Amino acid sequence: MSAASVRAEAKRLLALSLEAGVVSSELVGAVLAALEKSRSAHQLRPLLRAYLTNVRRELARGEARIEHAGPLSSAEADAIAAHFSKSLGRTIRPVTRRNDALLAGFRVRVADDVTDLTASLRLANLAKSLS
Amino acid sequence: MTFLSALLAADAAPAAAKAAAGAAPVAPATNPAETIIQLFGSFGVDGPHLLIQLINFSILAFILYRFAIKPALGQMEERNRLIEKGLADAQAATQRLADAQKASDAKLNAASDEAAKMLADARNAAKAAVEAAKAEATAAQTEVIAKAKAAIEADRVKMMNEVRGEVSRLVVETAAKVLEQNLDDATRGRLNEAAVKQLAR
Repeated sequence: MSAASVRAEAKRLLALSLEAGVVSSELVGAVLAALEKSRSAHQLRPLLRAYLTNVRRELARGEARIEHAGPLSSAEADAIAAHFSKSLGRTIRPVTRRNDALLAGFRVRVADDVTDLTASLRLANLAKSLS
Repeated sequence: MTFLSALLAADAAPAAAKAAAGAAPVAPATNPAETIIQLFGSFGVDGPHLLIQLINFSILAFILYRFAIKPALGQMEERNRLIEKGLADAQAATQRLADAQKASDAKLNAASDEAAKMLADARNAAKAAVEAAKAEATAAQTEVIAKAKAAIEADRVKMMNEVRGEVSRLVVETAAKVLEQNLDDATRGRLNEAAVKQLAR
């Protein structure tokens, strides 16, 4: 299979894995079981790699990865996710991770978009403006 | 009556006088010519003798003139001509010498003028060369100074930027460390809450 056909097949498999626009673990399992039966091992490896990339990207599209310094309540995380759900027009769920190197505030990443409201970024901008 | 007419008249007078002397005593002459003749006769002047002497003298004078005086005069004239020619040549030579001297003086003056002109030209050329060299040296000096100033200014600006960047980095690092040490969870929680509110706006 060529790279283009592998990408197209992975895209089709991703579409089969969505339930109401969200990746479903049951559907993903069904797709994997079907692939295991229908494809040989040497054909399966590049296709599974492309399928995994697509699934990760789709999952990232539905996640708001929030890095924060200090405590961040679940209500605040939900508020952040709601903000992005509203602005992007799809359901976004929060995934939080504490990182005190950010000093204060938080950084949100949804797919390829990054929103940074941290004190470390402001200090970096201040250093850039002074130099 | 002239002297010559008196002499001619005297040719006939002796014969008549001799004839008369034999016949009668000599009567005093009344004619002035006869008086003169008698006077010359008393001094021994005989007419035919005088005539012969005149002829002899004329022949002698002709011979002298033809063979002595005329060649001598010719030689004298030739000498005079040669002398005049020599004088003329000498004068011409003097004139030529003067002309040559004048030409020589003119050439010397011209050469002197030309030498003076060449010297002045050489001086002017040397002066111009010196001025050009001075101008070139001044321009090169100015260019070197300008380049040095530009390099110094560039170094200064670069150093200032480096110092500013370093100071900024130190300030920010210090601020970050201070914040990291001094921010407690309560403060960070308040800041996160404010950031959420900022995001919602």
